[in-house]
Amino acid sequence: MTESQRISDEAMKSPLAIQGLTVSYGHRPVVHSVDFITPPGSLSAIVGPNGAGKSTLLKAVLGITRRLTGEVYIFGQPVEAMSRHVAYVPQRSSVDWDFPATVIDVVVMGLFRDLRWWQLTRRHHRQRALESLSRVGMEAFADRQIGQLSGGQQQRVFLARALTQQAALTILDEPFAGVDAATEKAIVEVLKQLKREGRTLLCVHHDLATVRDYFDHVLLLNVRRIAAGPVDEAFTARHLQATYGGRLSPMQLTRLMEPADPANQRSE
Amino acid sequence: MDTWWLALTFRLGYNTSLVTLGTMLLGAGAGMIGTFILLRKRSLVSDAISHATLPGLALAFILVGLIQGDGRWLPALLAGAAGSAAFGLWAVQRISERTRLGEDAAIGAVLSTFFAFGVVLITVIQSMAVTGQAGLTGYLVGATAGMLASEAQLIALCALAVLLAILGLRREFLMVCFDADFARTQGVPTGRIDLAMLALLMVVVVIGLKVTGLILIVALTIIPPVTARFWSDRPLRMVALAAVLGTLAGYLGVTLSAVAEGLPTGPLIVLAAFALFFVSFLFSPRRGVLASLLAYQRFRRRVHLRQGLLAVARDEPIFDDLTLKVLRRRGYLRRDGVPTLPGRAAARDAEHEERLWALYRERYPEDALQQEHSGLTPIAHVLSPDAIMTLEAELLGDASAGSRA
Repeated sequence: MTESQRISDEAMKSPLAIQGLTVSYGHRPVVHSVDFITPPGSLSAIVGPNGAGKSTLLKAVLGITRRLTGEVYIFGQPVEAMSRHVAYVPQRSSVDWDFPATVIDVVVMGLFRDLRWWQLTRRHHRQRALESLSRVGMEAFADRQIGQLSGGQQQRVFLARALTQQAALTILDEPFAGVDAATEKAIVEVLKQLKREGRTLLCVHHDLATVRDYFDHVLLLNVRRIAAGPVDEAFTARHLQATYGGRLSPMQLTRLMEPADPANQRSE
Repeated sequence: MDTWWLALTFRLGYNTSLVTLGTMLLGAGAGMIGTFILLRKRSLVSDAISHATLPGLALAFILVGLIQGDGRWLPALLAGAAGSAAFGLWAVQRISERTRLGEDAAIGAVLSTFFAFGVVLITVIQSMAVTGQAGLTGYLVGATAGMLASEAQLIALCALAVLLAILGLRREFLMVCFDADFARTQGVPTGRIDLAMLALLMVVVVIGLKVTGLILIVALTIIPPVTARFWSDRPLRMVALAAVLGTLAGYLGVTLSAVAEGLPTGPLIVLAAFALFFVSFLFSPRRGVLASLLAYQRFRRRVHLRQGLLAVARDEPIFDDLTLKVLRRRGYLRRDGVPTLPGRAAARDAEHEERLWALYRERYPEDALQQEHSGLTPIAHVLSPDAIMTLEAELLGDASAGSRA
């Protein structure tokens, strides 16, 4: 097969391998020639300043935004053929929460591929949606109007919708943006649990302080790939400086470089 | 009145019954597709489509008139209408994609230009040597009185086809309306689904031309869905309700116009739809005017109850008459103003709630801002159990720290 010869062995086994990905709006590249390979069973973060193309990269991978150049492989196959193995948790602010739907209606949307057009949503579908909801601690809210949810709860509902898919790879866009601390903890718990189940996760993440606590791999991105790899190797002061272009103070940098100290976590 | 009853029970002749049935199907189709269009926030598009039908309609009339001397041949007229509507739609898409104009501006420009062109053509037709010119005005405000059986059959069949198509595509439509990006990741071809939505809307508008007229068909795609929103918070139930409401409006309007020969069908259907809307607007249990008045009163009492209970918990005197009345009615306060045992218990609960809310507001100010009148709804109703547990634990920690100090 010519296809498999063109990509490395590592990329063949990877749940997500990106090669030379470029996305542009008009003539301005937002993501330029990015290579990135996600190891199987990893919990990876994409980190970078605002406008670095983090969300755009995800959207290009998912086929929402058109790629200018580059290839995306899921377990060595072109992403288009493998999209059912990829779950997506969009940014909370991307939808109108006044939409006439209950929590369960939204979660059932994650089962779209299992429902044919003549089928009604049956009890076992509902049951699967409820299981996902209970994993994020929201089963009591199944029949609640989505407009009545708090920000953190909305995020949990989106995560539950992705969980119903039981995908090998889950892609999350800023799952911790504007959520309460309890929700952040609950989501991290679910993500780590998924990782233990052998699933692969990729998050756009904006809080540098928690990168070491939450993730094992990281991609530092500012239009171009600055560095990528295990957090200990890639998440260094030099790379961060290069990513943020000197926007981080020396004090911030030293604090970020301290190894994660469990006793010190989240102290107010 | 008696003839209306005959019309309502489908006993006013074969043609009238057929027209009634066709209009009901049209109402159902318009309500359903209209709901999706409303949820996709593109309701104005149907206005552009309907006005854009006029030039095609007139051109088809001229063409058919030149060939056979009488321009009134419904299939050709509908095809012409559909053609120019599609062209108008394409123009709207193009303008909003390729220029800096928004979709609303594009709709306004296309709508008026097409309509103006159509009116010019109709004026030309009036001076032509063909018969049936008078029939054309029926397409502006709707006329079902002299409809042929074959025309009614065509309308009914198209409406039925639209209904079936919508039923088959309901899930895709819903996904695209709620979150098009997510739908994309689920393998929904969002571009084609959007196109299908507009195509179905176009078919509804075109077959509705003869029934309600092109100016008013837009009402049939907007009023029933908006009315349905008053009665349901679930998406597919809203679609079903809009179908029922559209059917009902069509049924009432057409039968009324069958009885009162001089009255145009379109306006009657729209007025019937509006009557249903108005009733819902007043009496819907969740979003109606009456319900919100009642909810306001209930809310006021709840505020008084909470303030009263907090006063009891803090042993403060209560002076407000309504507060006293609310507390007495619940059995929390004796006639002489002394709190009862249940009153004391309720006061303790209220104070605990108040502390949880205060802590929540302190810890998560952003989230608290998003909650509507937070602090009065029971906190268990708003936060998930684990979030409350964290708060309770913190509250306990604060209390013990306080006692140590």
